[in-house]
Amino acid sequence: MERKYTILAVLLIVLALGLVILPKKKELKETDPKVLLSAITEKLRFLSADLVTHRIIEKDPTLMLIDLRPATQFKAFALPGAINIQPESLLTSETMELLNQPGKDKVLYANSDIQAEKAWLIGTRYSINRLYILKGGLNEWYNTIIKPAEASSTASSTDLDLLSFRNAARQYFTGAGQTNETSSAKAPVKVNVVRKAPEAKSGGGC
Amino acid sequence: MRHGYFAKIGFKHIKLEIMIGPIISSGIVSPAWDNIFAVILGMGFGFALESSGFSSSRKIIGTFFGYDFVVVKVFFTAAIVASVGLLYLSYFGLVDFSLLYIQPTFLTSAIVGGIIMGIGFAMGGFCPGTSLAACAVGRIDGMVFFGGMFIGVFLFSESFPLFENMYYSGSQGAKMINTAFGISPELFTFFLVLAAVGMFFGAAWVQKKVKKVEY
Repeated sequence: MERKYTILAVLLIVLALGLVILPKKKELKETDPKVLLSAITEKLRFLSADLVTHRIIEKDPTLMLIDLRPATQFKAFALPGAINIQPESLLTSETMELLNQPGKDKVLYANSDIQAEKAWLIGTRYSINRLYILKGGLNEWYNTIIKPAEASSTASSTDLDLLSFRNAARQYFTGAGQTNETSSAKAPVKVNVVRKAPEAKSGGGC
Repeated sequence: MRHGYFAKIGFKHIKLEIMIGPIISSGIVSPAWDNIFAVILGMGFGFALESSGFSSSRKIIGTFFGYDFVVVKVFFTAAIVASVGLLYLSYFGLVDFSLLYIQPTFLTSAIVGGIIMGIGFAMGGFCPGTSLAACAVGRIDGMVFFGGMFIGVFLFSESFPLFENMYYSGSQGAKMINTAFGISPELFTFFLVLAAVGMFFGAAWVQKKVKKVEY
């Protein structure tokens, strides 16, 4: 191999070795208070029950659901694919590594918004990106998807479409066919859901 | 994302901002520029392919016969330079690693697609990008390859419902290879650089042993 290529190869090895031996950065970098304050006022941190349900059914690989409720409640029922993280272990290195995974939308939920809002604030303060809250928590999700309200006689076609989606989603999660059934959510039952082809995104390769 | 720093000059506080990438995901540049950047980068990529000789199927096929390893060398070089560069930019706070788009992994379709693409690569002497570079410089074999690829894409799209389950199976999400090995990205990159450099020397050694092919 030519001398110039040998020099470049050695340089790359030295640079890569430098990455390994460089002192690790402080694990928790805090967000600037002004940036944090501006993020708190943003409503974009909330994802609706419909949107999250749609992404669950689509098996969106970028969705990471984080259940903040106690383990007993999580075992009794949780959204498909959710991970149970206790709020007190939010800042441990294992959890931070999980939450800092690139390419994932982390959606926090508990029974209501309160616990998720606290966890969102802590996570955002420590610069976790793409962190969201399931609006209204599991209670609202249950009332929206599992027990959707009846459509009014003056409902627009958009509202009817939404209701039809919710009914289909309810069947996906419970297998039940009737609206307003009072049975609680059971383990997901596979139904034939027509999935859209994923949007083309720039990928690697030649 | 913008990191704000305040500097006091006289009686005024001036906010100094340091921009960090990726510039579209962090909102510095509007996503509307996505396709414009794609065209510019695509043109640059095509130019680099052609100037490296990748529009010749004989050069590419040389990898399989051992007389020309430029393809392997170029792609390994791209991988290690990008990995080392990104990790340094992230270390110095110039790129927010968590905002990078990671292609989700679907194991089954990656394996099946990889085998099909490998066979096509070895048979045709092109991959999709290089076949377009060959078309651009008027090579007939590149045009035939591109035509075949287009027919394949059309047939796959039309028969997608047949393959849908296989296509989505083995979903791993946006998985990083270093997490699969349970090591840090820095350590993985170091091993990758060692492997690449070892491969460069190995390829040079093989190339010396194999009879030179003129093309």
